[in-house]
Amino acid sequence: MYDKTVRRRRAVLALLVVLSLILLTAYFGEASGGRLHSVQRGFLTVVSPIQDGANKALKPVRDLFGWFGDTLHAKSQNAELRKQVAILRREVVADHVDQQSYHQLLGMFHLDNQLSVADYRPVTATVVGKTPNIWYSTVTIDKGTAAGVQVEDPVINDEGLVGKVTLAASDGAQVSLITDSSMGVSARIGSSAATGIVQPKVGDPNDLLLQYLPGGTVALKGEYVYTSGTVASPDDSLYPRGIPIGQVTSVNEESAYESVNVHPLANLRNLDVVQVLTAGAGSQPARLSGLLSNLPAGGHPGTETGSAGQLASTGVGG
Amino acid sequence: MSDQGVSGGLVARIAALSLVVVFFQAGVVSEVPVFGVTVDLSPLLVAFIGLLCGSTVGAASGFAVGLLVDLALVQTLGLTSLVFTLVGYWCGRLRELRDPQAALTPLLVGAAATTASLVAYSLMEFMLGVDAPVSLELLRQIVLGVLVNTIVALPMWVLVRRCLIGGLPADPRRRRRRAYTTGGLSPLSRS
Repeated sequence: MYDKTVRRRRAVLALLVVLSLILLTAYFGEASGGRLHSVQRGFLTVVSPIQDGANKALKPVRDLFGWFGDTLHAKSQNAELRKQVAILRREVVADHVDQQSYHQLLGMFHLDNQLSVADYRPVTATVVGKTPNIWYSTVTIDKGTAAGVQVEDPVINDEGLVGKVTLAASDGAQVSLITDSSMGVSARIGSSAATGIVQPKVGDPNDLLLQYLPGGTVALKGEYVYTSGTVASPDDSLYPRGIPIGQVTSVNEESAYESVNVHPLANLRNLDVVQVLTAGAGSQPARLSGLLSNLPAGGHPGTETGSAGQLASTGVGG
Repeated sequence: MSDQGVSGGLVARIAALSLVVVFFQAGVVSEVPVFGVTVDLSPLLVAFIGLLCGSTVGAASGFAVGLLVDLALVQTLGLTSLVFTLVGYWCGRLRELRDPQAALTPLLVGAAATTASLVAYSLMEFMLGVDAPVSLELLRQIVLGVLVNTIVALPMWVLVRRCLIGGLPADPRRRRRRAYTTGGLSPLSRS
């Protein structure tokens, strides 16, 4: 009797471990359109409305817990932000004059057809789920393909760039945050025209690294980093130009490439409402993305990136 | 408790509790950082199910909860299942071999289960070649994760125990222990 119990216990354990390993191998080996990924998308479709309902019902509980942390954080930020407001107020007045001249010049040279956020048909979505571990920087939102959300669509909030859609079901989608190891965004530093790629910083998943900058690029602490509106390859997401990503915290002198550390502006730990830039069919970004995807693969990377970047940033496709 | 005595009621209770905890985790707990990390209730749930119900039920619950977590959070399917299966089994074996009765047992088991799951998860991710940080930050996240999970281990134990206790069949060893303490079947009282 005892032997039978022991055998049964061990058999169950072995069966479950083998089943897990089979699932793991099959999932890891298949493409994103495979069966197990489809099951996951189906599950997301089913549970998204439940998660959305639970999220709304439990928002007061979440807000109550968040209130304590936010209050302490806000107090420490108050004095620093007051100083920043005084500086920025002076800059806004000066920039207003420059902006008028800039728009006049753009109009004169027919360069005023750049993509803006409004061209992307933004869809507002609520965050209904978040991964609890360090390994995945992803959130689940309550809008999916039924609302026009597609894989690779950029996601923003009122603070700046949040990430991009990596999996879309009919009533929900998974968003990989800019701190996710799979992300890379073409960006530029506010004061210079130099562009680089923003990627998560190895060793600190809550920080970013703007790298592959041209030699001699000057970056000052506190400068803002924006999306450049270009893509490095036809497969990349086409983020609108000028979306703030973060602020420069320090410059790396020792690395082979010029690179700077960037702290993300969007509070990725406390996301509530986001906007997905859907670039619906027929829109200018959609046409441009189609044009980019038809670019020939291979060739000289610099040339390809250059032409793709030029297309994206000037809006020739529209 | 013998694993042969698993009733339909107990399975239903475990399934309902798992669903509630996983969705509460994804929708609420994950969005409330404590010391820069978030509490992860799922390894605690699996550990306490194992501690209450035994190794077979613990392993099966670990597999199911892991699968639910991977599906709900769109993670690599099978990874959490594998880790939680082993955690549930280990906690169940602890109960079957030692049957610890100290008041701090849930605290220690919760801490150990969280440590084991975080370390195993990290190792699996490294083995799968996921491009992830290897640094003091990861170590800090693991240590803080264990700390905050240990803080919530006791309330979680009370919740899991209260939810499952009605579905647990009577355990002969515990019945005997209770009898000794009340004096009913104690050899001393009989003599």
